[in-house]
Amino acid sequence: MSIDLQDIQGNIVKGYAQYDYPKARYVFYHIRNEVAGRAFVKGIAPLVTTGIPWNKKAKPNAADAPPPATTNIAFTYMGLKMLGVPRKSLQTFPEEFVMGMKLRKDILGDDGPSDPRHWDRIWRDTSVHLWISINGRDPASIETRYQEISHLVAESDGGIIQLSGHHGPDGSTDLPYQSASLIYKNGIPQAREHFGYRDGIGEPYFMASSGHPNRVIGGGKPTRGDPATRKGWEPLETGEFILGHRDEAFETPIAPQPPLLAFNGTFMVYRKLHENVGSFNRYLDTVGENYPGGKELLAAKFSGRWRSSGAPVTRFPTNATAETFEFQLNEAEARLYAERENPSKEAKEAYVALRTQMAAFDYNHDLEGSRCPLGAHIRRINPRGALEHGKEAFNTPGALTNRRRILRRGLPYGEVADDSRDDGDHGIIFIAINASISRQFEFVQQQWINYGNDFKLANDKDPLTGNHGVDSNQQPTGRMILQGNSTATENPFFCAGIPRFVETRGGDYFFIPSLTALHMLSNGTVDPT
Amino acid sequence: MSNIAGKAYAMNVVTPAKWYWVWVNKLFFWFVQLPGGAAYLKGLLTLSLIHYARWAIVSPKEFPHLDESQPKEKLKYSYMFFFSNFNGSWDQYVDSFHAAIPQGLDLFWFKNVKYPKSVPLQPFHAYITYNQIWTSHYYSAYPLATSNDIKSARHLTRELRAFSESSARADPLEFHEAYQRLLRDVQQDISIMERTPIVSLSAQAVEQRLDQADAERADQ
Ligand code: HEM
Repeated sequence: MSIDLQDIQGNIVKGYAQYDYPKARYVFYHIRNEVAGRAFVKGIAPLVTTGIPWNKKAKPNAADAPPPATTNIAFTYMGLKMLGVPRKSLQTFPEEFVMGMKLRKDILGDDGPSDPRHWDRIWRDTSVHLWISINGRDPASIETRYQEISHLVAESDGGIIQLSGHHGPDGSTDLPYQSASLIYKNGIPQAREHFGYRDGIGEPYFMASSGHPNRVIGGGKPTRGDPATRKGWEPLETGEFILGHRDEAFETPIAPQPPLLAFNGTFMVYRKLHENVGSFNRYLDTVGENYPGGKELLAAKFSGRWRSSGAPVTRFPTNATAETFEFQLNEAEARLYAERENPSKEAKEAYVALRTQMAAFDYNHDLEGSRCPLGAHIRRINPRGALEHGKEAFNTPGALTNRRRILRRGLPYGEVADDSRDDGDHGIIFIAINASISRQFEFVQQQWINYGNDFKLANDKDPLTGNHGVDSNQQPTGRMILQGNSTATENPFFCAGIPRFVETRGGDYFFIPSLTALHMLSNGTVDPT
Repeated sequence: MSNIAGKAYAMNVVTPAKWYWVWVNKLFFWFVQLPGGAAYLKGLLTLSLIHYARWAIVSPKEFPHLDESQPKEKLKYSYMFFFSNFNGSWDQYVDSFHAAIPQGLDLFWFKNVKYPKSVPLQPFHAYITYNQIWTSHYYSAYPLATSNDIKSARHLTRELRAFSESSARADPLEFHEAYQRLLRDVQQDISIMERTPIVSLSAQAVEQRLDQADAERADQ
């Protein structure tokens, strides 16, 4: 089925970081009155980046040329209300979106240090109506686009206010926007986050996805075929990520009215997640000393992937296998980088083959979790059919997982000045895109990150991102079992006293309209009757 | 009035079916208990969030008439009573059924009045919601336990008993080995139980009000 990529905002179908846009600026606005709000949206509309495939060789101003900076826009519930969307239509938006992230804290597990009371000021005191993201090749292109937008704000004569109140490095608490960027090493942007893990690997593959067809491997939904080949996977239905299209329940998703408002739009989760790098390093150092596999294997068991290469532990269970893989991957990446202006076919193929290996697995040969623990981050968040527990009992192996997938579109933010400390302002701007925030993001966050029953792990949480608590002596209570191999004589290893490594610092739920809907919003012509 | 107690949810669904069709459902109920029907039950049993699920068909004649004061009713249909206890939310449960064992569901509810089929999901949701009877009282003796936890606890108890018997007189080396073996055997059964994640904000609000009322009563 074809989809009109010109009508869809580009951030839905493209992870810009993978298209050489390593930096982003997220800016938030408050709409003071409807007329100014609609005029502002009208001014932004022509700047919005759509989903049309880019052609690197196109002339700079051609429609399919990659722009120096991208621009996307999304609205909170209050934002839509301020734009004059009629009540009848507003009432058709889902409950969680209407409530916003702050009021969902008991579902999301935003307690203790993650409680909204401790969020950045912009999320505490003000009412965010509108989000604009600018992703760029370099700071200058971002700044140029930012100035264009700021000019529209100035023209609104106070009708639109750019909200400040983002915390930043050096204790600043009133920055005018949130910056984010891939982390650089020797001047080269790395797909890495602040705990040192390679990131940006797992990505759902759906009918409207672009890119190499091998991306269906591990990215699609499991069939019963060999997970190492394309036969083992099928693309997910588009309706899991974009409204108005068929979803995995063989229907069009529940969506706001009128249909044209929702069609080709979707929902977005924006979350600023602080990383306690000092605690994380200390835990790895101390516990890694006692763990027979050592510190790096321990880190790999937490996430399900080796830190340096991203190789999945279930496929590369030992240091030696992982190192061989990493060596090959580094070679292939270096070659691709060297040839980046005009990559050869061989360089591309070598890279794709390795990249595919990183995704080409399920857990059917590792049911007891002796390679990748049952509680590891990526095994929880995308069990790839493991919830069938190897029994081939369901209509499809992905029965309990196909409707819980999310597109991740975030970037790291901040810098780690001292990796033995937790303070500072650094982490991940986590952005998730899905057709239903409650069924996809919130379910994963509540049931799979902060709870463990689906994995038969009682109340154990995700070691990396779970909201681990403290006992009455303020000692951390997080724990994880690294399952041993019951047929060999490898014992389980118990990780106790895991502190909270990740804390929420703010965020909200947004609606990303299609280009058509954006015009309706700016013209004030949304009418559900 | 709540369908929720501890980590469990109680669901009652009563659906009418024409009396001359229910032999098909009964035949299916009978069939799934035979070896050949095991495939249908396997899906159900692998859905580890279920404590319990039961279907029963009651014909018009079988409805109780307790005494003369109860008005006589003329029932046109046979009724299927579906009763289940499970862990998690209504959506999680209904959606799991729909995705994991759609054909099984369509046979269980075969020819029930206005049964829309289990796929697609929205009409199926509407059908269950329309026919669900709210639970007026529901009690859980082990509010921290899910069905998985209970199975694990039983396995752990068995293994631990056997271990303590067999290793009572073991020398230190044997004991060490037996203990390591025990650890490997029960490694899936020793995670810790705590409170349930909230099922919904409204259920949480009800619970808080009831707790508050309890506390006030205790104060008096
Ligand atoms: C600071 C917090 C987090 C860190 C450090 C983190 C780290 C990671 C790492 C290292 C990976 C493996 C690399 C990759 O596949 O790209 C990963 C994958 C993933 N993470 Fe996270 N994560 C965080 C928060 C979250 C949250 C809050 C969610 C969702 C609610 C999430 C969802 C995912 C998903 C869906 C994948 C891909 C899994 C797959 O398809 O194989 N992550 N994360």
